[in-house]
Amino acid sequence: MNIFGVMDVSGSALKAERVRAEVVASNMANAETTRTPDGGPYQRHHVVFEAQNGGTFQESMANQLGGGSSVGAGNGFKNIYTGGISGGLSGDLTAANPTPGGVEVTGVIADASKPLQRYDPSHPDAGPDGFVAYPDINPLTEMVDLMGATRSYGMNASAITAEKSIFNSSLDLLK
Amino acid sequence: MQTTTAMGDALGRYLDLTSQQMQVTARNMANVDTPGFKTQGFDFEGVFAQQLNDGAGAAGLEGMQAPMQDVDGLVARPDGNNVSMDREGLQLAKAQMQFKLGTQLLKSEFSTVMSAIHMDSK
Repeated sequence: MNIFGVMDVSGSALKAERVRAEVVASNMANAETTRTPDGGPYQRHHVVFEAQNGGTFQESMANQLGGGSSVGAGNGFKNIYTGGISGGLSGDLTAANPTPGGVEVTGVIADASKPLQRYDPSHPDAGPDGFVAYPDINPLTEMVDLMGATRSYGMNASAITAEKSIFNSSLDLLK
Repeated sequence: MQTTTAMGDALGRYLDLTSQQMQVTARNMANVDTPGFKTQGFDFEGVFAQQLNDGAGAAGLEGMQAPMQDVDGLVARPDGNNVSMDREGLQLAKAQMQFKLGTQLLKSEFSTVMSAIHMDSK
């Protein structure tokens, strides 16, 4: 992980939380949708987050130290420089390769809960018994999820700000 | 007499590439609402390594345009645009930090030369 690697981790979280907020918005927008391309009412969607194995700080540190504290070739702090100079924008050129230690949205799945049956014989999608299948979406659940996504987004944005100030402090060492 | 150092030359290229990175990020951000626009980028490290290897001070910094390519793996919206504001904001923040790093290092590089110039007056 290079000097900017920490920012990539927080950045992956920003992306993921934005997707989560979008999915919540989609759920709320379709709370009364009775028709979908697949037939039947809209199904509530969930996002699935998956951690990208990058290990903890402790593991990274142990790897860097190579079990010993020698600064000789092979193990020790020299490992940081394998792969030459990397002060660049890391391997984020393709979003396809996940950020180690970050989070990725691996998919958006549809909830399998049963639709709500409401009696409304005048509705065009009503069944022969006069009941209409509505999606089982609770605005409270969705709002709580949206607040969670917003808070997490803010938290990760603050983390990026902190990382920037850490970087600036390290630049002050040059002065 | 030569006052330019290999470090100074490398830093010049680094800053040049960083400003190109900023340009491409700004272009992506400007086109966030353009239908069908695809996010552009370039392989910073690859281009930088290539520029360091092509002989010191070969063509200078002029005409060193990094080859642009489409960034794949991003989620496209229904209008065909795949610009992610989070990604671009982060890229911009990183580019700013890289620029700071480059200028600070260049400053310390020049102050070395200056201290040599002022050697007799100290």
